[in-house]
Amino acid sequence: MIDRLLLLLDIAIKHLSRRKRQTVVAVSGVMVGVGFFLAVSALMIGSQNDFIKTLIDAAPQIIISDELRSPAPQPGVRAFPGSMIAMHGYKVRTEVRGLKNWPAILRAVNAVPGAIGSPSLTGGVTLRVGGREEALGIVGIDPSVETKVSTIADKLRVGHLRDLERVQGGIIIGEDLAQRLGLGMGDVVGATSASGTTRSLRIVGLFKKGQVMMSSSMGYVLLREAQSMLGRPFIINRIGVKLPDPYQADQISKQLEGRFGYKAESWEDRSSDFLALLVTRNVIMYSVVSAILLVASFGIYTVVSTSVSDKRRDIAIMRSMGFSEFDLQLIFIIEGVLLALIGVMCGWLLGFGLMNILGSLNFAVGGENQHVPLDRTPRQYAIAAAASLFAGGIAAWLPARKASRVDPVEILRGAA
Amino acid sequence: MSPVLEAQGLGRTLPGDPPVTLVRDVSFAVAPGTFTAITGPSGCGKSSLLYLLGMIDRPTEGALLLQGENVAELDGDARAQLRLEHFGFVFQFHFLLPEFTAIENVMLPMRRLAKLKPAEIEPRAMELLATMGLAGKETKTPDRLSGGERQRVAIARALANDPMLILGDEPTGNLDSVSSANVVDVFRMLAHEQQRAVVCVTHDLGIAAQADVRISMLDGRVVKVEEA
Ligand SMILES: Nc1ncnc2c1ncn2[C@@H]1O[C@H](COP(=O)(O)OP(=O)(O)OP(=O)(O)O)[C@@H](O)[C@H]1O
Ligand SMILES: [Mg+2]
Repeated sequence: MIDRLLLLLDIAIKHLSRRKRQTVVAVSGVMVGVGFFLAVSALMIGSQNDFIKTLIDAAPQIIISDELRSPAPQPGVRAFPGSMIAMHGYKVRTEVRGLKNWPAILRAVNAVPGAIGSPSLTGGVTLRVGGREEALGIVGIDPSVETKVSTIADKLRVGHLRDLERVQGGIIIGEDLAQRLGLGMGDVVGATSASGTTRSLRIVGLFKKGQVMMSSSMGYVLLREAQSMLGRPFIINRIGVKLPDPYQADQISKQLEGRFGYKAESWEDRSSDFLALLVTRNVIMYSVVSAILLVASFGIYTVVSTSVSDKRRDIAIMRSMGFSEFDLQLIFIIEGVLLALIGVMCGWLLGFGLMNILGSLNFAVGGENQHVPLDRTPRQYAIAAAASLFAGGIAAWLPARKASRVDPVEILRGAA
Repeated sequence: MSPVLEAQGLGRTLPGDPPVTLVRDVSFAVAPGTFTAITGPSGCGKSSLLYLLGMIDRPTEGALLLQGENVAELDGDARAQLRLEHFGFVFQFHFLLPEFTAIENVMLPMRRLAKLKPAEIEPRAMELLATMGLAGKETKTPDRLSGGERQRVAIARALANDPMLILGDEPTGNLDSVSSANVVDVFRMLAHEQQRAVVCVTHDLGIAAQADVRISMLDGRVVKVEEA
């Protein structure tokens, strides 16, 4: 069987070596297809991974907030369960906002192996500087825990997160907001909360400009500071959770939500529109690549097809010698697969080269020098090879069927 | 001696409107060690009969017995396998594969049959070419060989798998008289010394005169069988 395949391979190679120019054209078609697929997919997947990493890292992977998916039943309704009486117009009880049994939730979160929960309190204040006012959302955090949960520390242009603990009334705000208000490091700014409390805050850090996930109207303060400023001592309304495996987020957030009733949103939940966009991108990429491969397989089809019609006489000779129909079909399929195979290997080299060129490119984003994110996994090489060999096999199989149908009698009679 | 190949009422009709009958009701037997010549006017169906005998074409009537077994109804793969093992063809045109050298052409049927070990195939091909007087021309491609040389390579290839039957369709039709006589000598030797059955379609009455059996055809029928 091996000997037979080697014989057919030998014949196929001899056929191809007689049509060098067509072979080169067909091989380059596959080569360009494979090469560009590798480069483009490395770029697409690289940027996608980069993007997902940003989504995963920028904010906690699960955010438990004090929103309820459905409102708590009113006392009047609870008092008469299953009653026939409908009640209208009673006074709605005022709920104290915040995560009620948050220490229990935090314990539950920390009980998940490798998971860390960071409690925080958010609220709104108004900053006042020299007659100018600017609304600001403040987040009260525990810096030592928050650094483990999110990457806000990396987003700082100047200052450190732990300075919040060292400086009384310290706050970290965005660079652009500071610019708008004419503030700099160490400046003091007045902040008034909705409950009327006014504090003086000192700027101890600035966030970099242009962060997607970091709103420019957000400020970070110490949790205790936020609680007293917002007049809500001992209350938190948000727990950010970092997981060892970000892809567990959906499952764990559902468990937490089921157990405590508070809304627990995973990063996938929060960014489902972005993720849908990525799917679209992938669909576009794979359709472009399929189109390239389709064109490449036209080249293979042409070579094999002309090879079959040129070799009708040889086909008849081999058939009369005792080669079977399947042998003949196989010879021409091997021709196509061979073209695809050579094309794939050249394409791997081309793709490798293109990726190196892309990888060496630098470009500036937000004043930072960055490399193009590239994903260079063997998986893409394998996909490109499998797709090309499959396409080449099909492109060769169609004309190869003609080879097996050549009637030797007709040819011998015509030639004699 | 029992015949190696026997036609029994063999007929071939091409479907169509009207149907064309190429060969009708042909019956004769071919014994090993004999040289049979088929003669007849152009268009009488000699080639058509030879394709039937060589299992390249399939009869529409009658039976073809190869060593006593009817092979007329076998499927394509089985027929190909029998052709490979038992038949060697020589046509008017050499029909060598142009990309392969002389020796590679001779090795093809042996490699396909794979009865010999790969190491034994090349020496045998060398030997066959040497018997055909082609020593030293093994690595030439067909376009570097003369007409007579090509035809001898084709004969060497026909003999590659040591077949019981050699079928020729005007194998000397394209050759000068010396080469032609050469080929006929080889055919007689294959029949008489190697006990093969040789069947040869020919126009040349001189060649037919050297045959052990002469079959005359007319209009698709065998009209006369003469034994020497
Ligand atoms: N496909 C076909 N359709 C119609 N008629 C055909 C076809 N093939 C062959 N024939 C006819 O069948 C007859 C026999 O052809 P064949 O080739 O067997 O003759 P031949 O005896 O070998 O002739 P020659 O000596 O010229 O080679 C011829 O008259 C030819 O015209
Ligand atoms: Mg003829």
